[in-house]
Amino acid sequence: MKQLLFVLFPILVNMILFPGLCIADDARARQIMQAVEDRDDGDNQTTDMLMVLIDKNKKLRKKFFQNYSKDFGKDTKRIMFIKSPAQIKNTGFLTFDYDDEAKDDNQWLFLPAVGKTKRIASSDKSSSFMGSDLNYSDMTSRNLDDYNFRMLKESSIKGQKVWIIESIPKSREIADEIGYKKSILAVGHDNFLVIRAKMWTNEGGYVKYLEAKKIQQIDGIWVITQTQVSKKQGKAVKHKTLLEFTNVKFNQDLDENIFTIRRLEKGLF
Amino acid sequence: MESIRSRIENRFESFAHVLFDHRYKILVVMLLFVFFLASQIPRIRMDTSTEGFLHETDPILIEYEGFRDQFGRDEMAIVAVRSENVFEIKFLEKLKDLHEDLRDNLPYLDDITSLINARNTIGKADELIVEELFENWPVNDQDLDVLARQAKQNPMYKNLLLSEDGKLTTIVLKTHTYSGQGGETEDDLAGFSDETLDIGDPLDGDADWNIEKQVYLTDKENSEFVAALGSILDQHRTDDFPVFMAGTPVVTDFLKQSMMSNMRRFMGIALVTISVFLFVMFRRLSGVLMPVFIVMVSLVSTVGLMALTGVAIKIPTQILPSFLLSVAVGASVHILVMFFQNFDRGETKRDAIAHSLGHSGLAILMTSLTTAAGLLSFSTAEVAPIADLGLFAAGGVILSLVYTLVFLPVLLSIFPIKSKFAKGISEQLSVKGTLGSTGTSTPMDAVLNFAARTSTQNPVKVLLTALILVVIALTGALKIELSHDPVRWLPDQSDVRISNEILDHELKGTTSIEVVVDTGKENGLYDPDLLARLEHSGQIFETYKDDKVYVGKAFSLTMVLKETNQALHGNNALFYKVPDNRDLIVQELFLFENSGSDDLEDFTDSQFSKARLTLKLPFVDAIAYSSFMDHVQDHFQSGYPHENIQITGMVAILSRVLTNAMHSMMKSYGYAFGVITILMVLLIGRVKIGFFSMIPNIYPIFIMLGVMGWFHIPMDLFTMLVGSIAIGLAVDDTIHFMHNFRRYYEKYQDPVAAVYETLHTTGRAMLVTTCVLSIGFFTFMFSEMNNLFNFGFLAGFTLILALFSDYFIAPAIMVLVNKKSNSRL
Repeated sequence: MKQLLFVLFPILVNMILFPGLCIADDARARQIMQAVEDRDDGDNQTTDMLMVLIDKNKKLRKKFFQNYSKDFGKDTKRIMFIKSPAQIKNTGFLTFDYDDEAKDDNQWLFLPAVGKTKRIASSDKSSSFMGSDLNYSDMTSRNLDDYNFRMLKESSIKGQKVWIIESIPKSREIADEIGYKKSILAVGHDNFLVIRAKMWTNEGGYVKYLEAKKIQQIDGIWVITQTQVSKKQGKAVKHKTLLEFTNVKFNQDLDENIFTIRRLEKGLF
Repeated sequence: MESIRSRIENRFESFAHVLFDHRYKILVVMLLFVFFLASQIPRIRMDTSTEGFLHETDPILIEYEGFRDQFGRDEMAIVAVRSENVFEIKFLEKLKDLHEDLRDNLPYLDDITSLINARNTIGKADELIVEELFENWPVNDQDLDVLARQAKQNPMYKNLLLSEDGKLTTIVLKTHTYSGQGGETEDDLAGFSDETLDIGDPLDGDADWNIEKQVYLTDKENSEFVAALGSILDQHRTDDFPVFMAGTPVVTDFLKQSMMSNMRRFMGIALVTISVFLFVMFRRLSGVLMPVFIVMVSLVSTVGLMALTGVAIKIPTQILPSFLLSVAVGASVHILVMFFQNFDRGETKRDAIAHSLGHSGLAILMTSLTTAAGLLSFSTAEVAPIADLGLFAAGGVILSLVYTLVFLPVLLSIFPIKSKFAKGISEQLSVKGTLGSTGTSTPMDAVLNFAARTSTQNPVKVLLTALILVVIALTGALKIELSHDPVRWLPDQSDVRISNEILDHELKGTTSIEVVVDTGKENGLYDPDLLARLEHSGQIFETYKDDKVYVGKAFSLTMVLKETNQALHGNNALFYKVPDNRDLIVQELFLFENSGSDDLEDFTDSQFSKARLTLKLPFVDAIAYSSFMDHVQDHFQSGYPHENIQITGMVAILSRVLTNAMHSMMKSYGYAFGVITILMVLLIGRVKIGFFSMIPNIYPIFIMLGVMGWFHIPMDLFTMLVGSIAIGLAVDDTIHFMHNFRRYYEKYQDPVAAVYETLHTTGRAMLVTTCVLSIGFFTFMFSEMNNLFNFGFLAGFTLILALFSDYFIAPAIMVLVNKKSNSRL
């Protein structure tokens, strides 16, 4: 299962770049990335999420979410509701993330004021998720075959040993879809978590800096519970996103019917 | 007075002796000083931006920068292509290739928008799609027809991406707002912090925010961008894909390229003119090389001083180098004339230097000071480059004064110079009034005799004629039109100008006024009433039209809302309106934010407290915007009593430059007149004569204003310089005239004889210096830029007028004033 929680983690997997420019793929790097992908990230998860958006004027905006997610074979379904701010309370998202690359992921958004559920076309995954510095593409799992990986070096971050791996999309189309032309990832030796990532956007000359600020082991599963994403142009910070996950619980008894449009239209649990 | 004068002359002589005795030490010190300033030159910046005309402290500029910090650079580069049918697959493929090439290869590109990736919001039964117009490439005519229909119906595209007749389409390019200097290196994992995150107070201790104010995209970066753009377009341009570029970034770059080639050309012409003049005058190499050296070090030092103080060369400051060369050479000439005369007469070098400094030192000091005063009158101008020009041109004149009084004597004492004993050529041609011959009869003598005869025999008629001319001039002056119109500075036939005019016409405007409505509170824009007012304002302005100004398009956040609302209601055109329900507004904005577009940041801040309303306008003369600006001001003041309104954007900057220029011109003319009058009174020692002597100084200014009015030469940032520069230079001649008239009047006790004598001595020198200076100014008429052409013509013309007024009006006044009294002046 891939829970939203690891929002940042697929990101890592999404390492990107241009028309894969004959950059030689590196078996060891790929092996590590496969291990990142394969590690146990838990199932039947519930969590609360706080999203703090900081704009260039240092103005803060906060949103609280309630998330449920469950694996269905290799596919993942998740449902999330906004708890605050009040104006958009009960607004909900339902997402089906298919393992099968040929199948477009599905996403529905329920707006209480409109009283309607709208499917959002998922054609452009390079766009921002809820005004944050994360892309839709960062929220869904990726096929490792779409990327070339290259081991740059081994290093250490705050005492933790990491592999530094470069990830470049194999084609311009893939780069366009995810929004990045290149990424550099730091993968922890001991937990196979991507704890830092630097991502170069296709357009606008931005670089996103993604950092795991707090990592916890919950029910035996490594979970990044605080994440910071900074989007910069040169030295100038354009925007920042902070995510904090609380009440993280695994192996909850989540009914299949939770992940339906009918449930979506009922609002918060 | 006499004793003061001789004391001063003695001082200058003993100063010259000191210079001679310590010549090597002084040479080293001077050279070090010049080298220090010269070494700064590589740091000099160019700035031809529109906002560069305002001082950094100008509230209008600060407001504009605040806007730019929030919404990014509002000046767009626009690439346009014409086609009989834009929605034809072959054409679209070419457009797509170009779009992708630009997207991938342009430096400093922040955003690119064309039909290829334009936002297309469509609602289907249970689906909301926000995608690029050409998300799915059309495979048959049917697909193409659907897309063409969607594009033509989309109000967002009209006059932005597609002209009304559908035959011209654009690619709109937005550059980075800030300079890339000091950006992160590309390939390492640097740029992270080891700080722990306090999510309750995330700003505390976050080093990312401890950055200084960002430098905006520099002129150099803008030029790199435009150069890359130009070469990409060249690769794509074909007969059936005629592509051209326009927009302020392109104009800015054109102005810069033209400025650099102009500066080289003008300096070359000025140097050649000066060298020829010097050679004719002295007929010896040292007489050419030394003054040229002095003016060159003056120029190098002045530019070095600009670099040292971080002042950029801007469009008006480009006249500085050649101006300084022409103005500064005079002082060296005065010294050299005396020196060669004394030296050739057999004096030792030491004495010849001392005597020339003693004789000319005071006159040089006074004329340099008056010239500097004229220039300094600009230093408080509210137009930044005009103030810079005033300050640094005055500084350059003073530097050249110092070099003439210190460096030149040292050079004379060190370098070997042959004495042409008894064959003083200085008698053939002289610049200084005390020199010269009256014995020979040349065409010049005929002119001088005519002037002396006319002014002394018919002084009243001369003055009456002058008065009539002034009256005619002043009626013309009332017709003077103010102007600030950088696009029309460009040559009529230049591609950039033509492109801009085409786009202005076809897209109904290429520049804009930006109105920021600040509610002052988070989520203030969720208010349905406010959004309704904003929508209404846009509609009202879209109907505005006066002589030259109209609003081609008005757009704001409400456009996004209308679009989303319509899509949510099954694309029903009846729902292309702003919802009047607050919750609906909030959720539609939220929906838009989540449906694949990052465009919200173009219309509002992340707090939804500020809304931006863009009014697209044609690029016309700034003077034409003024009544529209007032209209906008009034509208928002009365319609938005509880919100804070900022009116900014390129048009506001252009307007402000014009207003500032007007204030500054009045101030600077007044100041130049006042300071120079005081200097004249001090120099002449009599209040009344001091005032009278100002008549020939200001007369040419009145006539110049008349010529501008009658011949429709606009008063702009360049022509406004002419008045004060002319006063500062014309006064030199008047000083020489008054000084010598007094000397000869004391000698002959007859004003008529004194006038003849003065004109035949000083009058000659005045003619020569006027020729050099006016030729110096007339060289600007070789510029391809219309503004420099006007400036060069007016300044040269005014200096010639100044000579005439010293030839006719000054003598006539002196004859009248001194007619019945034989007392000293």
